Amino acid sequence: METCHESAVDTETRAWQPELPAALTLAASTLAACGGGGGGSSPAPLPEPAPPPVSPPVSTAPQAVRLLLQSQFSASDTEVAAVQNLGAAAWLDQQFSAPASITGWDWMMGKGYNAPEFSAMASITDPMVWYQLIATPDAMRKRVALALSEIMVASANGVNGIAYRSFAMAGYWDTLVQNAFGNFRTLLEVVTLNPAMGVYLNTRGNQKEDAATGRQPDENYAREVMQLFTIGLYELNPNGSNRLGANNMPIETYDQAMVSSLAHVFTGYNFDKNAAGGGNLNYLRVPMTVTASLHSTVAVQFLGATIPANTGPTEALKIALDTIFNHPNVGPFFGRQLIQRLVTSNPSPAYIARVSAAFNNNGAGVRGDMKAVIRAVLQDAEAVSATQAVQANWGKLREPIVRFVQWARTFKATSTNDAWKINDLSSDATRLGQSPLRSGSVFNFFRPGYVPPNTALAGAALVAPEFQITNESSVAGYINFMQTVIKNGYSDLVPNYSAELALVADVDKLLDRLNLLLTAGQLSGTTLATIRTTVAGLASATAAEQLIRVQAAVLLVMAAPQYLVQK
Amino acid sequence: MYLNNTKQLARRAFLKRAAHLGIAGVATPWALNLATMGEAAAFTATDYKALVCVFLYGGNDYGNTLVPYDDITYAKYASIRTGIATPQASLAATVLAPTTALPGGQRLALAPQLAPLKAIFDAGKMAVQLNVGTLVQPTTLAQYKAKSVPLPPKLFSHNDQQSVWQSSSPEGSISGWGGRMGDVALANNGSAVFSCISVTGNAVFVSGKTAVQYQVSTNGAVAINGLKTKVYGSSAVGSALQSLITQPSTQTLENEHAKITARSISAEGQVSSALAGVAPLTTPFTPDNPLANQLQMVAKLIAARNTLGAKRQVYFVSMGGFDLHDNLPEQHPGLLTNIADALKSFYDATVELGISNNVTAFTASDFGRTLASNGDGADHGWGSHHFVVGGAVKGKEFYGKAPATAVNGDEDVGQGRLLPTTSVDQFAATLASWFGVSNTELDLVVPNIKNYSLKNMGFV
Repeated sequence: METCHESAVDTETRAWQPELPAALTLAASTLAACGGGGGGSSPAPLPEPAPPPVSPPVSTAPQAVRLLLQSQFSASDTEVAAVQNLGAAAWLDQQFSAPASITGWDWMMGKGYNAPEFSAMASITDPMVWYQLIATPDAMRKRVALALSEIMVASANGVNGIAYRSFAMAGYWDTLVQNAFGNFRTLLEVVTLNPAMGVYLNTRGNQKEDAATGRQPDENYAREVMQLFTIGLYELNPNGSNRLGANNMPIETYDQAMVSSLAHVFTGYNFDKNAAGGGNLNYLRVPMTVTASLHSTVAVQFLGATIPANTGPTEALKIALDTIFNHPNVGPFFGRQLIQRLVTSNPSPAYIARVSAAFNNNGAGVRGDMKAVIRAVLQDAEAVSATQAVQANWGKLREPIVRFVQWARTFKATSTNDAWKINDLSSDATRLGQSPLRSGSVFNFFRPGYVPPNTALAGAALVAPEFQITNESSVAGYINFMQTVIKNGYSDLVPNYSAELALVADVDKLLDRLNLLLTAGQLSGTTLATIRTTVAGLASATAAEQLIRVQAAVLLVMAAPQYLVQK
Repeated sequence: MYLNNTKQLARRAFLKRAAHLGIAGVATPWALNLATMGEAAAFTATDYKALVCVFLYGGNDYGNTLVPYDDITYAKYASIRTGIATPQASLAATVLAPTTALPGGQRLALAPQLAPLKAIFDAGKMAVQLNVGTLVQPTTLAQYKAKSVPLPPKLFSHNDQQSVWQSSSPEGSISGWGGRMGDVALANNGSAVFSCISVTGNAVFVSGKTAVQYQVSTNGAVAINGLKTKVYGSSAVGSALQSLITQPSTQTLENEHAKITARSISAEGQVSSALAGVAPLTTPFTPDNPLANQLQMVAKLIAARNTLGAKRQVYFVSMGGFDLHDNLPEQHPGLLTNIADALKSFYDATVELGISNNVTAFTASDFGRTLASNGDGADHGWGSHHFVVGGAVKGKEFYGKAPATAVNGDEDVGQGRLLPTTSVDQFAATLASWFGVSNTELDLVVPNIKNYSLKNMGFV
């Protein structure tokens, strides 16, 4: 397998490359072609940084809400004003430096869930993570962590066979939250060594080869860390398109032999049972530890790197993760998915290339700076463009988790008894059809490359990931669920419509508010007219009737396709 | 509001077929065209046929599903599968005795948990397809190693091999061979929307070029409550709701969402009333078995076939949990128990309905797994063994070639990953031919079948 692709057709790369000084061009293109080879011991010089992102116009309230809905879950009056006052760049900086709120782990400890009667339950994962999404103040950090949980998936449905599975899941969630604004290289390492991930993709308990029995190392993590978390199956140009080989075919990033070889690096790991603290459960959140006698010492070759035989386990892991991290695919592969999670399903190649460039160099010579990547995603000219927003194929279907969290945050829903017993909402026939940390497999609820068959999207070769969990049952199940939730809340979660009730006598004002906060003003005049006529026709003499007016308006907005598609 | 115009869909499908067959007289009236199109004969019959794909997500372990039993082969198996081998003694009751024995005294046994299927096999209503998997063309081990022939894209990758199994293309594929059979059959069904039905999540298998996947829950079609009864005490809110959620839009994603919702609403009415008119099945289905729940709904929909106006249907059901890199000895038996239990109930239900000769169910999966052990599990493989069940099946037989039980054997591409000796295309073409797809139309359904001289494995 070739690893250095001088022969590769690279015209698309050139087309999207920013202008470079002549002296840099050769070095940069050579690096782009060779990636993270050479054993990862000497980090490659960084390519030219992307131009600094624009500070998008957010002077109007709809513009401010649009940014808020792309970067977090919801928009409050206070947040809209803050974005308008600070401008996008400063507002994002404020979110980056906002203090982290209570961890999922500490929240569960505070509620005594470490007691033995909870040891067999995975279901505390659900209130833990719903509380995090709905009730903690650092919403942008949580929105990015949710996106990460759908790219580097560990699911409560598959973290089995251990005690206190909910604590393992809290440990994983907290790891994503803590590293959401850090560096991707660190994120990659803490995910690799996280106990829940260790259980989910089998690094925990993975043993070295045994010639006597023919036993081979478990290949699960070695494969998925490359295929799903970092580089994908085909070599990419910085704009996300496939690099093409001499025969005009895509070039595979790795083959089965490399997976089998890399698998040796992830042997010998298990829980660090000596880790103190956390009510004696700390081993479920601190990095797994390696036992040298169970770790393979054979030479490993993958992605052009060689880990010599008898390299120590820690050094072997460093070389492996450095090699993956420095692969030129990571920027476009990860960047495209982050754009899809936050902004739009089908970003232009140029948009992906700008995010890739920010991944490759944050402007200060650092690769993998998540803040730079997030800024590039949210402040890109394409993400903020008003003309782009009205293009027929722009935007994304809001995922059901985000719709529900948006409802809860917008209408200040809170738990009446502070228990937050919102459970697994995965049923598509009766609930949301999606629930955080509850993916059916490591392939997430939906794939970044999902094309809905028999649609205009398929005809135009466009993807729409969220349509993978959209069907005749789910569309009905969602509306039924929200009809109940908007009126009654869910479990101990109860909404507060006081701000909307204050406007109930003036239906136009009520709808202006809902249209602004829920859709950034994206409902059409026709849709607004339909809702206005209906709501204005409802009685409003009593407090109960006024509440129904508000609830009916919220339901009609949140059921409308113009709301469901974020643009 | 969107309508689901069966006639229009059927006409589009017809024109595609006609163009393919080179007999199109586009100016000729539609009915005349249909009548004169001899190739449609298989579908103009008044009989009914259904094909049911049981997809095992995660890659089912072939080694512990159909286990070597004769002493020589078992010894090889046990030595390769350290820590994950099924004890030989536990297999005595499920050893299969096919009408045509395997060469060299080889015997294969069903996993003990598959015992309920043995009676169906013995009765000649279940066949075993050995070592079937994704291929582009017949491929030898030497050709694989030399990469001298085209290979399926993205081997060993779950999502892609699921897609290749179902559709011949990796992730992003937009039509599967079940859906393409639906395309060919559309004109025969009174209501096109019930040609291709998933009772689990969305799957490309049941999407055709024209035929659209219809998804239904294990409890039937989900009604939108607000369209049936007042919303918050108001019928006006319900009317507005219906108008908004089905409103066509120039925005592509909004428009597609509205189309799904419109289909949901119109099909729900038909499905709910059709199911209400069906007598309850007496065949028991185990309640806490998710696959049984799905197959029970398939059986009910088949029972309602006349009301739904269906002559040819393709169904998709699934279960997950097969990616057993770890804990294979602990977890695989429970999965197999569910498969056997669900398939047996389903077969019995088709007998109860008097339709068993018209319904064929088969298993499929991402890929097989390694024969070699990683201590307590096995890793991603390629070829695997699958079951075909139904009254029309030429059962009590093995089809295809039994692979060597070996690492570095005749079909091994590494650690006991099987190079398939039968392709999914041949497997699919066999089922398609039974379904009524003519030889001339076979490549519409299974494009790569042209690469094989053997186009029918003969198991049904």
